[in-house]
Amino acid sequence: MKKRIFSILLCATMIVSMLTACGGGGGNNESGKKLVYWSMWEATEPQGQAIAEAVEAYEKATGVEVDLQFKGRTGIREGLQPALDSNTVIDLFDEDIDRVNGAWGKYLMDLETLAKEADYEKTANAGLMAACREAGGGTLKSIPYQPNVFGFFYNVKLFEQAGIKEVPKTWDEFLTVCEKLKAAGITPMTMDDAYATCVIGYHLGRYVGEAGVTKIVKEGLWDDPAVLQMAKDIEELASKGYFSKNVGTNVWPNGQNVELAGGQVAMYLNGSWLPNEVKATAGPDFKWGCFAYPALNACETNIEGAKATGTEANNFGAQVYAINKDSKMAKEAFELIEYITKGEYDAKLAEMSIGIPADTTNTEWPELVSCAKPVIEGSTTRFTWAVGVESNADMTPVIKENFIKLMAGTLDAEGFVKAMQEASK
Amino acid sequence: MKKNKGMIVLFLAPAVLFFLVIFVYPILRTALMTFFKIEGVTDAIGLWQFVGLENYIKLLNTSLFRTAMANLGKIWLMGGAIVLSLSLLFGVIITSGIRFKKFFRAVIYLPNIVSAVALATMWLQYVYNPQYGLFKTFFSAIGLDAIANIPWTDGDHKFMALLIAYCFGMVGYHMLIWTSGIERISPDYYEAAYIDGAHKIHQFRYITLPLLKGVFKTNVTMWSVSCVGFFVWSQLFSTVTAETSTITPMVYMYMQMFGAGNTMTERNAGLAAAIGVVLSICVVIVFTLSNVLLKDDDLEF
Repeated sequence: MKKRIFSILLCATMIVSMLTACGGGGGNNESGKKLVYWSMWEATEPQGQAIAEAVEAYEKATGVEVDLQFKGRTGIREGLQPALDSNTVIDLFDEDIDRVNGAWGKYLMDLETLAKEADYEKTANAGLMAACREAGGGTLKSIPYQPNVFGFFYNVKLFEQAGIKEVPKTWDEFLTVCEKLKAAGITPMTMDDAYATCVIGYHLGRYVGEAGVTKIVKEGLWDDPAVLQMAKDIEELASKGYFSKNVGTNVWPNGQNVELAGGQVAMYLNGSWLPNEVKATAGPDFKWGCFAYPALNACETNIEGAKATGTEANNFGAQVYAINKDSKMAKEAFELIEYITKGEYDAKLAEMSIGIPADTTNTEWPELVSCAKPVIEGSTTRFTWAVGVESNADMTPVIKENFIKLMAGTLDAEGFVKAMQEASK
Repeated sequence: MKKNKGMIVLFLAPAVLFFLVIFVYPILRTALMTFFKIEGVTDAIGLWQFVGLENYIKLLNTSLFRTAMANLGKIWLMGGAIVLSLSLLFGVIITSGIRFKKFFRAVIYLPNIVSAVALATMWLQYVYNPQYGLFKTFFSAIGLDAIANIPWTDGDHKFMALLIAYCFGMVGYHMLIWTSGIERISPDYYEAAYIDGAHKIHQFRYITLPLLKGVFKTNVTMWSVSCVGFFVWSQLFSTVTAETSTITPMVYMYMQMFGAGNTMTERNAGLAAAIGVVLSICVVIVFTLSNVLLKDDDLEF
């Protein structure tokens, strides 16, 4: 009998301990003074390091304890929503502007009042704040930091070598630049597989605008004349030998690290994070230049609502901060946002990551990205990533593969259009 | 011994409870999810939208998913033929009494303990590089320019490149399964056959192969299971967004579950669950077929 009671007790203890072990981990906010921040960065990245410093300074200054957890890109992309759904205490998190507002919109707190109270917008980038409101469905649900812009980045030395004095603004000027580079024995441009869709997105976007591009890929309007014209433009670049011969086989980061940063090729369409990414291979003497994707000549199109765009329309964006709508520490979370995105730590973040400051009073940009300043300042219309060309997940792989072939010259314009029409049937 | 039902229940309860919660519940929930349109995988059931068989119909009608299934089929069949035959060959050599057996076994198994990310980076950035890659320099050096100039990482060759790299990493694992099977066969059979005048190839054909039927079944099942979960290699061979040449059903499932690439695309966890169910059915079919086709219970040794 004694034995039996003993074993029952043992079993009960085992079950209880198992259940408690499972149930734990969630709520850790009993003290009420612990701010939980899930970050998209890794602790070892420059951004992560700068943020960790800012958080430490914030803790010291305010006495608020911050539980800073670096989740990394996939960690936050896969883990945040399930964690929020299971009521894990997360006060503050960050990710790309469109993902935060799009995929996680229902978890976000409206920040209009907090921003107004802190007079936040006085020193914030107006274009990005407007982009956040647009992405948030008309109200401010996220605060931008680490702005970035997408454009042509080039090797200034090679441009000088080819006698190019001004950056191209139109397609004809762009072709002239390519011709001059080629004549000087320099390969004009290259591309990596990872960013191939950005080229087609931008080019189509110049002809029909982002709404038009999205319509083409979602509704399969590949027989539109603008698509064929785009393909012909790219075919021309390929046939004239303006793309590197490796463009068909480049696996990221071969194009940017070996070809561009290695000085073999002059231009590469990419985001303003590029100089930071390739700084080790480019070396300290590499001089960067940047210009917006050139404006194209007018082209016929049958797409409803299509609107041609010029160099004022660019893919610019930012990482954004958002506060959980159920957070009990919203005020502290917003204070921390201010700590990171304003003044000293914003400058530090920009400096360490060779990025663009979010605070408009931080006028000194890190030298390597200062070339992108005219592009971002001249941008009044915002494109989202790849100008919407990736908005149909079932088509993106087909677009990517065939467009790379078009750039490599192994597929002609008609062949490209045909492949797209067939795939979207 | 007196049976005590209460004690049996008490001792079994934790295990059964865990089995129900960790295995049965997710399976049932996943199967149920396939009949709904669900935006986020953890959405409350109240937010699920019933769509009947629409998810399955949509999968059948999506050419990208069909491409993914075809890619998986090719990986399973071609890769299976390459990996299982190569690993068997190595297994036979390793167990044939060669010197430095342990060393060779370790070398062949080595790719299995290296991270797939490191291996794929090596293949993509070094071996296949068209400018200074291993294949380029090696085949140029021995005068085989036709092979040296193959653009391994372009759209037309990427699948082959992926398959070669993946098979390279998998041979060692299956070799170990083969060797364990071969080592189980008593040396007496070989000795008897040797005395009767059978040479090595005959011994392999008439002793080793028939007695490895059961191990072959294990290998086919393990290969099928790892193929169905083909994800990391495909991801690594197509940066940021998927490509038609390397996409597999698991990648497609991920796209449906978490969105594709950097653009916010429509998500449907119900469709993703349907892919999971389709894949499970595929494994069950392969397993049943190999059980029916390869009967090894007629042999006792």
